[in-house]
Amino acid sequence: MSMDYIVQISKPMLEGAQTTILLFFIAIIASIPLGFVFTLMVRSAIKPLAWLANTYIYVFRGTPLLLQMLFFCFGLPVLPVIGEYLVLDRFVAACLAFVLNYAAYFAEIFRGGLLAIDKGQYEASKVLGLNKWQTTTKVILPQMFRVALPAVSNESITLVKDTALLYAVAVPELLHFAYTAVNRDFTIMPFFIAGVIYLLMTLVLTLFFKFLERRFKYE
Amino acid sequence: MAIIEVSHMKKSFGHLDVLKDVSFEIQKNEVIAVIGPSGSGKSTMLRSLVHLEEINGGSIKVQDQYLVKDGVYSNHSQIKAITSRMGMVFQHFNLFPHLTVQENLGLAPKHVKKLTKEEVRSNSAVLLQKVGLSEKAEVYPGNLSGGQKQRVAIARALMMNPDIMLFDEPTSALDPELTGEVLAVIKQLAEEHMTMVIVTHEMSFAKEVADRIIFMDNGQVMESGSPDQLFHQPKMDRTREFLNRAMR
Repeated sequence: MSMDYIVQISKPMLEGAQTTILLFFIAIIASIPLGFVFTLMVRSAIKPLAWLANTYIYVFRGTPLLLQMLFFCFGLPVLPVIGEYLVLDRFVAACLAFVLNYAAYFAEIFRGGLLAIDKGQYEASKVLGLNKWQTTTKVILPQMFRVALPAVSNESITLVKDTALLYAVAVPELLHFAYTAVNRDFTIMPFFIAGVIYLLMTLVLTLFFKFLERRFKYE
Repeated sequence: MAIIEVSHMKKSFGHLDVLKDVSFEIQKNEVIAVIGPSGSGKSTMLRSLVHLEEINGGSIKVQDQYLVKDGVYSNHSQIKAITSRMGMVFQHFNLFPHLTVQENLGLAPKHVKKLTKEEVRSNSAVLLQKVGLSEKAEVYPGNLSGGQKQRVAIARALMMNPDIMLFDEPTSALDPELTGEVLAVIKQLAEEHMTMVIVTHEMSFAKEVADRIIFMDNGQVMESGSPDQLFHQPKMDRTREFLNRAMR
């Protein structure tokens, strides 16, 4: 097993990792705000909104991400009448599934963060004369994000690993190239290299969230 | 002239009548201590004055304006204007844990009163000095002792220049050795003739600092009077019983 071989097979895998990283960023950047919107809907006084958001969360948390991805890639186009307009690029369809799925999880994480905030915080804000908007943006949200941080960190690491599901819809990414090399060269080395690349990505995330947690320790 | 007039205040949570026909007046510059057993409605009464609780009947008049008249509340902006004249200190401090002491003090003046940074800074410097915590301006509440937290909470309330200060059991969550520093600050405010309503379990403090004491039991004001009269010649048996137990 030469060093040359490792370098040679690493190159397509690193290119595949770009797809992995792209999916990661699209999913995290879109699903966090979307998740927060669902959190607000769940807590809304307008009952149909809350009902809608709860149903959404139930469906997207209660079914496999793989199923959702296959549905958006291959299920939508076979719908009668409208199906032909719903043929999405497979990567786009996968992104859609990831964003919608992760938004449901983030919605629950943020809801948990809000529940952790003592009602005294709202009362103190009220007697100081802060209005609802000021209370939410200056008092509640900063604390909610702090409480949610470890869970968000956990979720984002899961997301890195979930990107491997792209394999199932034949969008070439890190794992795809690793598996191709394993089959072609009849060696297990590409799996180890893939593992190391995943570990490096999660290491970066772990360090980043550790930094955030220290930065917002409030001590 | 009465600065607060409460008449026939009623409040219930479901079937539980927490306040049954409570009436009293508080004069300007008066320091009132409200005492009574747990569950007597003291805190609910106090919280109703700043609209943290909505009462079901009766009237609350603050500085000649009705917060609620015969069970009907004034409109939102009137309520805001009336309650903004009162500062409140809570049993559990309710400081903002994600903000430094300085930022805790500055948040409302900056966003509600729209004061400039310089005004906020100079006001908070004066008040932190007053409560003896000048050196803690940049510290987060998590690094303060309970007594220090409560002194910050008092300073934070004073930042809004209230005419009336309400204290809801300000020392009940503190270790006994930390109550003194908080009571000293309240006492100083009393000497400056701040109008105050203090719900407390500290009988000796109530006796020392209050101009008048209100004894509440079972959702009613049982009796009120000067500390001397109430502690030494209570009119009601119920008051005597309570004091005997509380002072033991």
